[in-house]
Amino acid sequence: MEELFTDIEKLAQAEKRVAMATLVATRGTSPKREGAKMWVGEEGRIFGSVTIGGCVDARVIAESEQALSSSKSRLVEMRLGDEDAWEIGFSCAGDLDVLIEPVDVPNLIELYRTIRSAVDQGKRAVIATSLRDSSRKLLIVEGGDTSGSLGTPDLDRDAQIASLKLMKRRASGTISLGPDSTPVFFETHGPPPTLIVFGASHVAMPLVSLAHDLGLKTIVVDGRPRFATRERFPDVDQLLIGIPSEIAETLVYTSSTFVVLTAHDYKYDLPVLKVVLPARPAYVGLLGSKRRGKAIKEFLVEGGMDSELLDQLHVPTGLDIGADTASEIALSILAEAVAIKSGRSAAFLRETK
Amino acid sequence: MAALYSATLLDHFRHPRNYGILPEPDISNEQYNPLCGDRIRIELKLDRSTVSAARFKGDGCAISTAAASLLTELLIGQNVADLSRISDAQLISALESNIQPARLQCALLPLHALREGIKNYAPDPS
Repeated sequence: MEELFTDIEKLAQAEKRVAMATLVATRGTSPKREGAKMWVGEEGRIFGSVTIGGCVDARVIAESEQALSSSKSRLVEMRLGDEDAWEIGFSCAGDLDVLIEPVDVPNLIELYRTIRSAVDQGKRAVIATSLRDSSRKLLIVEGGDTSGSLGTPDLDRDAQIASLKLMKRRASGTISLGPDSTPVFFETHGPPPTLIVFGASHVAMPLVSLAHDLGLKTIVVDGRPRFATRERFPDVDQLLIGIPSEIAETLVYTSSTFVVLTAHDYKYDLPVLKVVLPARPAYVGLLGSKRRGKAIKEFLVEGGMDSELLDQLHVPTGLDIGADTASEIALSILAEAVAIKSGRSAAFLRETK
Repeated sequence: MAALYSATLLDHFRHPRNYGILPEPDISNEQYNPLCGDRIRIELKLDRSTVSAARFKGDGCAISTAAASLLTELLIGQNVADLSRISDAQLISALESNIQPARLQCALLPLHALREGIKNYAPDPS
């Protein structure tokens, strides 16, 4: 997300009109996911990429120049042979569709600044684009605000429904809508994934470092200044010291927020869970045994918490990878959190279809 | 826990009294235990020199939470000049439990916050 905004701001400095190439569909394995973008400026500048290889990007650049000349959008379907596929990482002979649209940079900037504003407020936003006529776009902001149209009220309604699932998964992709199966590309944006750790424990230390390496924003909360230190958490974005449940009330929880309670102490776990579970972040993990987890859950239910809210709680937290050290436990927790957020089973890849 | 702690202590832990915050309190102080992490804030509202409302907020163990809850009940209606007379023994006695020496710091944390709050309190001269 940050990379995309950086590219667009660079474009604003240098170009007035660009061809925006968007990877809208992939079949087979792909080095980049749907939503990857490349911009080819009228003045010749190139930002971004839709693959990791040269030959596909070269063809996209050529198609972009033609789109700029003709002022017409085009959907380019690339069927890659085995040889080409191997060359660029599509070793399973993947196919990809790239939408190329000539756009005026000021309009592009306005659209993405609207999205960024929503994202900065902790909201998700989706641009739905008809692949039959890419001038038909609908911007959907979490909470219900929309602008633009895909052409008919029915399509707009179907797109809003479809966008909810994609927002939850924070995924982009093409979906066919309506009775005539209109292909619509959904480009999903959301707040950066954030890891909030309650308890500046020894497990929290590698957890934060690993999350940082994965590109997550990280926040550590504790009541003890001696534990929540920059020395113990050199990679952390925010260290918050105070009453943990009171701090928990001030934080924003989105479908991109992972919460892990590592204090292993009911004095933090109970009051923090009372705040965090109703906010429904992407993942809530609690360090502790099944027995401890059962006792914590029973206490919360006795205190009036809806047992349905407790279904979100992962206790013990993490995957069964035989984790022993603090670093291994951190790896197991983050692997589970990413799998939950992505809606995956966390099975061995060789055993998945 | 049931064998060690009295019904009174457990009741105040499970159902803390006067939990929350006060708008513009006259006395407010927060204290924490640097190692175990209990953190309790005591807030008082005064009507002239009498405590008209007391609240506590914090994440603490059963002992410190129950002690804070019981302390707020002791404070309401008292003259601010008399608050410093509340003794360690008085609060520990209110818990009706055999508090081990290692846990005394938990039981006395809210009282510590009260005493620091009183120390910093300067009555409005008007």
